[in-house]
Amino acid sequence: MTGYAIVLASGELERVQAVSMIGSIAAASDTPVQVFATMNGLTAFEKETVESGDFDVAGEAGYAMLEAEGDQVPLFTEQLQQAKELGPLEVYACEMVMDLMGNDIDDYVDVFDGVLGVSGFLQKAQDKQVLFV
Amino acid sequence: MSESISPDVTVDSRGATCPGPLMDLIGKIKKVDPDTVIELQTSDNGSKGDVPEWIDEAGHEMLDVVEHDDYWSLYVRTTK
Repeated sequence: MTGYAIVLASGELERVQAVSMIGSIAAASDTPVQVFATMNGLTAFEKETVESGDFDVAGEAGYAMLEAEGDQVPLFTEQLQQAKELGPLEVYACEMVMDLMGNDIDDYVDVFDGVLGVSGFLQKAQDKQVLFV
Repeated sequence: MSESISPDVTVDSRGATCPGPLMDLIGKIKKVDPDTVIELQTSDNGSKGDVPEWIDEAGHEMLDVVEHDDYWSLYVRTTK
């Protein structure tokens, strides 16, 4: 096993949190993890979205997480930051979506290792198991 | 039996849900020497099952799980 390449294409809080939880624990356990945030998955990382807590939510679990926020359920941004200190976790922003939204990397919370296009992602994912969320 | 375990370090993760306690524990395990006894305090029901799984997989030693009124103490000995 050479690790996981996780494509996060959804901004729904449930999915973003699940990616963060699984990716963080895997990386903290020394399994290499690379998260590629694209489409609305990247939007969830916009500073404005994170600061306002105005996330897309799919259903009950998401609302429960929003209500429980803070100490109880660490938000994915904090979790990813914590995990990056513990293990091989890299997070990349999709260049195409960034351009589409007229953003640059400073418009997003500080968890990203860089910006990638599709071929850059595929190259990094070559030796990894790909999970599409 | 469990009363006799005196941890070298205590990690208080009470109030945090999965995977917070496990992340806190892993962070601590990476900092301490082998053969350190760590007490992880958690009020999260899921972590009570998940942490021993991780410990087993990671090759550390799960010593005991002690139930208190509103939290559990999980005792772990590091092996590396």
